[in-house]
Amino acid sequence: MMRNRNILRLCSAVLAAVSLAGAPAFARDTVKIAFIGPLTGGNSATGLGGRNSASLAVDLHNANPASKYTYELVPFDDECKPNVGVQVATKAASDKSIIAGITHYCSAVAIATVDTYNRFGLPVVVWGAVLPEITYGNDYPEIHRVNGTMINEGKMAAEFLTKQGFKTFVVIHDTTDYGKGQNKYFAENLKPQGGDILATFAVPPDQQDFTAELTKVKELKPDVVFIGGLTPLGVRVRSQMDRLGIPAQLAGVSGIMSAGFLDGAGAAAEGTISFHNGAPLTRYAGGKAFMDAYAKAGYREDPDAYGPFAFSAANLIMDAIDKVGPDRKKVRAQLNGTKGYQALVGEINFDDHRQNIVSANVYVAQDGKWVYWPDSAYAAGAKKLPGK
Amino acid sequence: METAQLTGTRPAEVVRTQGLHRLLVAAIVALLFAGGGFLLHSEAQGEVIALLAAFVAIFVFAERLSAGRRAIALCRAHPGTVNLAAAVSVLAIAAVLREEHYTLLMMATVALFATAAAGLTLQMAFAGVPNFAGAGFFAIGAYVPAVLGGTGIPHLVVLLIAGCAAALLGLAILLPVLRTRGHYAALVTIAFGLLLRSFLEVNDVLGGPQGMKVPAFSLFGLSFARITEIGPYDVSFYLPYALAGCALFALAFFVVRRLETSFVGLAFDAVRSDEVAASVFGLSIARWKATAFLIGNAMIGVAGALYGMMNGFVNPNSANFGDSLIMLSILVLGGFGNLWGAVVASVVILVIPEKLQAIQEYRLVIFALLVIAILRFRPSGLMPRATRDLSALAMGGQR
Amino acid sequence: MDPGLLAQYLFNGLMLGTIYAIVAVGFSLFFGVLDVIKFSHGDVVAVGAFSAFGAAGLTAALVALPGPLALAVGLVAALGAGAVSGVVIGRVLVLPLKNAPAVNVLLATLMAGTVLREAIRLAVPNGGNPKPFPALLPDGVLAAGSFSVGIDSVIILVGGLAVVLATHLVITRTRLGLAIRAVAQDDEVAQLAGVNFTKTVLGTFALGSMLAGLAGLMLGLYYREINFNMGILLGIIGFACAVVGGLGSLIGPILGGFLFAGIQTLATVVLPFTSAYKDVVAFAVIIALIGLFPTGLIAEKSSERV
Repeated sequence: MMRNRNILRLCSAVLAAVSLAGAPAFARDTVKIAFIGPLTGGNSATGLGGRNSASLAVDLHNANPASKYTYELVPFDDECKPNVGVQVATKAASDKSIIAGITHYCSAVAIATVDTYNRFGLPVVVWGAVLPEITYGNDYPEIHRVNGTMINEGKMAAEFLTKQGFKTFVVIHDTTDYGKGQNKYFAENLKPQGGDILATFAVPPDQQDFTAELTKVKELKPDVVFIGGLTPLGVRVRSQMDRLGIPAQLAGVSGIMSAGFLDGAGAAAEGTISFHNGAPLTRYAGGKAFMDAYAKAGYREDPDAYGPFAFSAANLIMDAIDKVGPDRKKVRAQLNGTKGYQALVGEINFDDHRQNIVSANVYVAQDGKWVYWPDSAYAAGAKKLPGK
Repeated sequence: METAQLTGTRPAEVVRTQGLHRLLVAAIVALLFAGGGFLLHSEAQGEVIALLAAFVAIFVFAERLSAGRRAIALCRAHPGTVNLAAAVSVLAIAAVLREEHYTLLMMATVALFATAAAGLTLQMAFAGVPNFAGAGFFAIGAYVPAVLGGTGIPHLVVLLIAGCAAALLGLAILLPVLRTRGHYAALVTIAFGLLLRSFLEVNDVLGGPQGMKVPAFSLFGLSFARITEIGPYDVSFYLPYALAGCALFALAFFVVRRLETSFVGLAFDAVRSDEVAASVFGLSIARWKATAFLIGNAMIGVAGALYGMMNGFVNPNSANFGDSLIMLSILVLGGFGNLWGAVVASVVILVIPEKLQAIQEYRLVIFALLVIAILRFRPSGLMPRATRDLSALAMGGQR
Repeated sequence: MDPGLLAQYLFNGLMLGTIYAIVAVGFSLFFGVLDVIKFSHGDVVAVGAFSAFGAAGLTAALVALPGPLALAVGLVAALGAGAVSGVVIGRVLVLPLKNAPAVNVLLATLMAGTVLREAIRLAVPNGGNPKPFPALLPDGVLAAGSFSVGIDSVIILVGGLAVVLATHLVITRTRLGLAIRAVAQDDEVAQLAGVNFTKTVLGTFALGSMLAGLAGLMLGLYYREINFNMGILLGIIGFACAVVGGLGSLIGPILGGFLFAGIQTLATVVLPFTSAYKDVVAFAVIIALIGLFPTGLIAEKSSERV
């Protein structure tokens, strides 16, 4: 049974390779890599963007005649739920034909699954989860991460905002580990910079109405309202601030830096500041090519903020497999030693915890787009931030 | 037994037909389990669909044809044989699939959710006390080994403590649950579930939103996480969990069946179906409802503790309303009050969505439509509970 | 406290309460005629919001309509989509399951809600992201000291209260209302008296779901942002309000809605720095209230139906 299926798979892979590469000189073996992220439910927009980007990377790689293997992406839905995450992680990791994985956007899921990958020895590259403990809380050689953690986002946020002359802050964060962590690292870094937090509101991530909290904010009159949460939270707070006539500056972490925020908050988004681990696509060497290929592939969803990271993680893995062959241990060793790898999101260098060293960048919403701060009309002085 | 009585055959033949019947029952059960095991293991979409179609066909056959109905009656007449055959089948499946991590993980998950469903059965199907916070009590169970797992208390005792903790926490809403009925009582438990989750999330004592790590279950000093071989065979470390889960379900099954067939079960039925009449006959409504609620929660808590130890972590998200509904769906789809139905429904609810990974973002919508279809066309569930048959008692108690 | 801020809190609470009340009334209506809880009600709110969003967007792309007309298009779309989804769910799911245990209906309608929710997510382009709702109401802010309120908010609030009143009139003054009340009291006797049971039930579902669609439109106009899973929490809160107020009554759920909004607002004002606990507080109060009033604040007239 098993053997039959493998033969079938081999045949279909050969066929696929033939049809893709025109008339190749040799038949390539098929190698499977897993993609795990939220494909249904509230965080599916980012998850689907990541999946599309990873699948685009695989298609482009397969079309390249220099590729040694034909890669097949096996997507799994973790529903952003830790127990489902452990289930699909076990499924992917115990499937010997899967050589490596591009895993998780939700931090809670990523932290719950690290033990599973370690136990089964499946090398994975995290493409979106930002909780520091995922890489720094253990010493598992299987776990890598291409995106940065919330530590450098929080640090950058505190430094940048105080440098702009903002003194008083109110933090609204969601009660998930994501929001709580963002709050922690922002608050920790703000104190030495001389900023003052007037109030901190912890809210459930699915809360719709913030008028009660914001009325309190109105009373406190802070310079900045800082959001530690994801897009829906950011959109709601931004639109409801307008409704109550709160003039403060809105700033938020990478969770709100999405097309969804600009789209959702509409005109009110103008002037919102966000901090993200990546630089804008247009500043990357391959950014334009990625956008064009993505558009050409005709995906229904946008790549979203973390799509480029999923794309880079997929390429990193496929290049490693091309180099050392489809063997988990060898691939792991190859990934561990990644230094100076040129990826879509810039150079990837793993530190001793296999964490990519990235610095956060500042963005501002300008004319319906997220603009890299140094390039913006605000930095040039042509426009003024709403909170000033 | 009944065939013998009806036809009046001679003793030697009775023994022979009895043996034959038992054999037949065992074969049916083994066949069904083999199919279930295969479904659990299979990854090829074609195979999964063929198996599901086969199961639907068997269902239709069992309901529509007289031969099928006779087979069901036969199985009902020999519960001992069914249970024994089931136990043997489970062991056989576990032995065959001993190295398959994912299949064994799903098997353990099914067994533990079925155990929790047994607790809910006691509450909802027997005593008529709604509980929409099943996942909450399940999560409480998992938090207990997270706190006590490393203290040196034997893990079997920790499981018991987890059960007690879940029951104790249930005491907090016992009064409003007893004072209300129907949808009002349902809301009390829904509100409790939401409250519990939000409390665990905002309060940092139990790890806050990140939750806590749970140590692996160890029996007499032997940690399940370290088991990689038994005798000459390599095994998955999920094998002991799958076996422990099934053992736990067997225990729950035994307890619930004993309660059901005892005077307690009769009292539950009376309380559920007509409170006024039951109290006229001197039954204390509050006492029986409280009994069912506490025992049920304890069972859910124990199952949750083992589940947490298997997964290695627990967080507030495990206590969400959606997961409570999953448990409820198991109960309703399986057939209110039928524990074998709960097992079948656990497979449907927990395994099929995983088998649907190939359709990715359309999974949830297709799954929801499937559940609606079952509810719409089989309103009493896949395997409805048999009506209590007291005719034997009436005929002079020859049972 | 500053009276301006106090007024602000009061206005926020009223607004929230009105929306909760409109959703809760639907739950109560369905329970009244059929003794069922239709849990897809919250997701019908999202259907209404997205229909209005889609209709307004489409017409805006075709012709430039003046504000009130665009609003009317959105209103018709929200009411229509609400009514259709309500009638379809009632016809296909709830009526056939009339004699099944209550929990079956509850589960079936929850799953129907999931289908609606996921359908929105999959059918709308980039449906997983929140969408900006067009501002169809006149802009402008009324301010007095530290109290400021948008003209649109005032319109929404007044409109919402008018709808609650109108629903009351429909139930008490029209033939449909009479039929609904008759079926609610005793469906068999009502049928003997010539009331068409199926029609009345479906009429109730249409009415209740139109309210949900309207609530969706109101939420969109008020928050200027809609989202495919906006109905989950609203459904649970609406249900809670209906139960606390008393299922089957009309005044009860309205009372429940304002009560719940009041508790939430109060919790944020009184415990501002531990506002994370406000849901804990709100649900604890709900549990306590049900413990004290086991059949709701406004008890059902015939609570013991034998």
